[in-house]
Formats: sequence, structure tokens, C-alpha cells
Amino acid sequence: MWKRLALIFLLLVGTSALLSPVIAPFSYSEQFRDSANAPPGGKFLLGTDDMGRDRLSRLLYATAVSAVLAPAAAALSVLLALLACAFPGLVVGGLTTICLSIPWIFLFIILRAELPLNTDPSISVLLTFALMGVAGWAGPARVFSGSIREMMESGWMLQARSAGIAGWRIGLVYAWPHLRSVALAQFRVLAPVYILAEASLGLLGLGVAEPMPSWGNLLRDLQHPDMVRQNPAILAPLLLLMLCLLAIEAVAVKTHEKEVFR
Amino acid sequence: MTKGGSALFPALGPRLMRSLGTLAIVVLLGGFAAAALVRYGPGFCTDENAWNPQYSASSEEATRRRCEDENNLPQFYLRYLRGAVEGNFGTSKSYGVPVRELIESRVPITAGLVAFGVGGGVLLAGLFAWIAVWSRMPAVEAGVSGVVAVLLAVPPAVLALGFFLQEAPIQFAVSLTVLARIFGTVRTMLHDAYGSSPLLAARARGLGPIALGWRYVLRPLAPRILALFGVAVMIAFGALVPIEALCDVPGIGQLAWKAAVSRDLPLLSALSLIITFLVASIHSLGEVLAGRTSRDSEAAV
Repeated sequence: MWKRLALIFLLLVGTSALLSPVIAPFSYSEQFRDSANAPPGGKFLLGTDDMGRDRLSRLLYATAVSAVLAPAAAALSVLLALLACAFPGLVVGGLTTICLSIPWIFLFIILRAELPLNTDPSISVLLTFALMGVAGWAGPARVFSGSIREMMESGWMLQARSAGIAGWRIGLVYAWPHLRSVALAQFRVLAPVYILAEASLGLLGLGVAEPMPSWGNLLRDLQHPDMVRQNPAILAPLLLLMLCLLAIEAVAVKTHEKEVFR
Repeated sequence: MTKGGSALFPALGPRLMRSLGTLAIVVLLGGFAAAALVRYGPGFCTDENAWNPQYSASSEEATRRRCEDENNLPQFYLRYLRGAVEGNFGTSKSYGVPVRELIESRVPITAGLVAFGVGGGVLLAGLFAWIAVWSRMPAVEAGVSGVVAVLLAVPPAVLALGFFLQEAPIQFAVSLTVLARIFGTVRTMLHDAYGSSPLLAARARGLGPIALGWRYVLRPLAPRILALFGVAVMIAFGALVPIEALCDVPGIGQLAWKAAVSRDLPLLSALSLIITFLVASIHSLGEVLAGRTSRDSEAAV
């Protein structure tokens, strides 16, 4: 039941994120200067921010940015990891150890600091998530190389090879179904990690650039407790982020249990 | 002497050699990346005095010559690395003081935060996992897992911000961040240990919970617990930048954030190099000790 509820919730969030240009009452950057910091109600369901922008519209667009691009970055990491495993184990093993030794946030802020100050917000969005995707390949690559090693030593693999089955056929028909479940598990692990990473970077002002909204830069208002007390709707991005992560976790746990049972 | 030396190397084993080799490669590659980022970063070799009309032609010439010298990346890298080994990471662009001075004054604050965060996090994860496994009640296990899932869904910076605004110790936020991320591993470890046949047999013989825990859980799990400390340190360092930056803790994380905001690449590169070296060292040490302790445990059994 929990898995079904979580899936329905994620589907609703995903749909509203994708339809944000249609269902959002206003544009994410439209300013109502005479209604800055307006309380919820009437024209603005969640109120407005200090620049007079509608919080609900910004939340919908932010969901489109964070909840769609973080899984895309996770998919990129998994794809890069699979490609890296095509190289000899020594290279992958050594490289993954080196990459895993570098705290990603330091790597990320150093790369962000290299970008020009006038980087376009839409490019900053793509770069933020692309950098995450590229920087996060090492973890899944280590898991994949372990799985491949296990497979190569397994009885069925030896049997298949001794039976003279072609290498490509072994890979495609026998090995890929096993690797696919590992890849999906890695994807399920990485997507929430990237959502949280974007949130941390956004809070620091090093993620997606204004005026483009993301869950991370919407959370920056939490630094002003007086504003939160006046308008508790400021907590909406945090609540949505937490609910999405809990739903992803519920789906992941149930799927894992099902796979183990199978 | 020869005998002692030859006995030492097999004792240390290939694991230590491999770890040291990896550490050396990490430092060399990290140093190269840091040097390249400084060399090709925006504003490298621009001198604000170039627009000063009182600046003499000979000074301009000296600046130009210095830039020409530094244009060669391999030479620049070797100089950077030599300086780094001597503890000289250059001068911060934004603060105008040697990077070493800036780092030295902030290390104790960050070290305290990480030590408390990691120690507290591992202890709490152990306690939570023990409650979940020992109780054998699905409701208790679901409750503990639910609390951890909620903690996992909160960004570490928001968690720390909550502690900061409530004037509670921020160290607990680091501990809770570590707890949320290692709980699953600790629970699986304890679950396997408490379900093992030797432990069940000892329990049937009437051995008390403390003796059971020490002999059949803690001792066999010691290598994995040590390795877990390495992972916990990495998690704590990952959470450090947002926590210190948002909660106004004058540590290394806050320094890195300020360096990133002010695009102070010499400072940022030095910090990344030092943190990478520290994390890689702790990781290697954990792996070596884990291997050693594993052999000791096997011998004891």
C-alpha cells in the first residue's frame, strides 16, 4: 500500500512539474512590486517573496527543475559508470578510488567558481546537474565492477563460456539483465542524493542561479526565521522535498524487498 | 636488521603499499588539478596595479616576466607542489594573507566539529540499530527506521540551521547527518551478527547480552566498524561546507564557501588539496587497520 501511495504521489508531483508552464498562475520571474512579502491567500495562494514573486508559481517551476533534472543527473552518472566498466578493471579500480577520495562538494564549488559571473541561469541549471552527473560516476562504477567480477567468476558464466556461446550474446542475454537491476538500484540511490546535493548548493547560493527557481534556492528563505513565522508557507519547498524523498525511499525499499524475495 | 626489515614488510602487507600508492597518486593528481585550476582560473596574473598610473615601467615589466615564468603549467605545477609540501600554498586573493595562516587558525574548529559529529553519529547509529535489531519487534524497527528516513530526507544544512536558530549545539546536526547515512549499513551488520549461528548457540547456553555483544558482535565486526569511521569522516566533510557557512562557524568549510563566493582559487585549490589528502589518508588508514584487525579477529577465533 505504501509503495502504491508513494508512486501516486511521485506521479502527481512529476506531472505538475512537467505541466508547470500551463498550471502555474504566473511566470517564476514575474514581479508584483506592490505585493512584496504578501501573506498567503487571494491572488497568491502561498504568498509572495521579498521581490514580489508568486511563491506557488516558483515552487511549481522549481519542482520541474529539481525533481526532473536530479534523476537525469543520476541517469548520467549510471551511464558513465557503465561506460567506465568497459575499461580494464585496474583503470576503473584506481580511478574510482581517487575520485571517491575527493569530497564532491569541494570539487563542485571549485568548478562553479571557474564559471563566468554572467553565466545564463538556464545554462547554470544544466551545468549544475551535468557536473553532478559527471562527478558522481565513481560510486556506481565501483559497484558495477564488483558485480561484473562476481559474474565472471560465477558457475553459469563459466558454463556459458565453455559451451562456446559468443561473448556479445553472453553480455546481452545473460549478463545485462543482472546488471540492469544493479543499475536501477544505483539510480534509485543517486537520484535522492542529487536532490539533496542541489538543495545544499542552492542554500549556499552556489547552485542554480536566480531568477531560475530550484528547491535549493527556495530554501534560502529559511535563513530568516521572522519571515517563516509571518508566512509558514515558506516551509512548503522543504515539505515537498522531504515528502518526495520519503516517497522515493518507500518505493526503493519495497522494490528492493521484492527483488530479494524474487 | 635485515631480518627485522624483511619481517616488517610482510607484516604490513601489500594492502598498506597499495594504500600508500593510491594516496600518492591522489595527492599528485589532486595537486596537478589544483595547480591547473589556479593557473587557468579567471583573473590569473592580472595585477590591479596595472591601471595605476604611478606604477613604474620596471614594475610592469617585472610582473609581465613573472607571468611568463608561470605560464608553463608543468613548471608551475612543480613549484606549486614543492610549495605545498613545505606548507606554502601561496597567498589568498580575497584575504591578502598567506593561505597557510588562514587554514591554521580554522583547523581546530573544524576538527572538533568533525570529531564530535563522527563519534556521535557512529554511536547513535549503533544505538538505533541495536534497538531495532535487539527488540525483534516490527513496530520498534519501523519506528526507528521512520525516524532515520525523515532525518535522511532533510538537507544537512537545513538540519543545522534548525539547531542554530534554536541555539542548540551544531555538532549534533553533524552527528544526525552521519547517523542517517550509516544507519542502514550498521543495522545490516548487527542483523547479520545477531543472526549468526555461533551467537545463537552462545545465547542458548545462557551467555549474557554484554558478553554476547562483546564476543560475537563487536569483536568480529571491528574491521567493518573501523572502515565505517572512514566513510563517516567523508560524510562529515561533505556536510561541513553548508553547515559551517549557514551557521556562521569559522572553520574550513566556511572558508571554502567564502573562497568560492569570492572566486579565490588559490585558497579554494589549497583547501581542496588538503581535504582530499586528509580524507584519502583516513580512508587508507581505515582500510589498512580493517585488514589488520580482520586478521587478528580470525586468529582469535
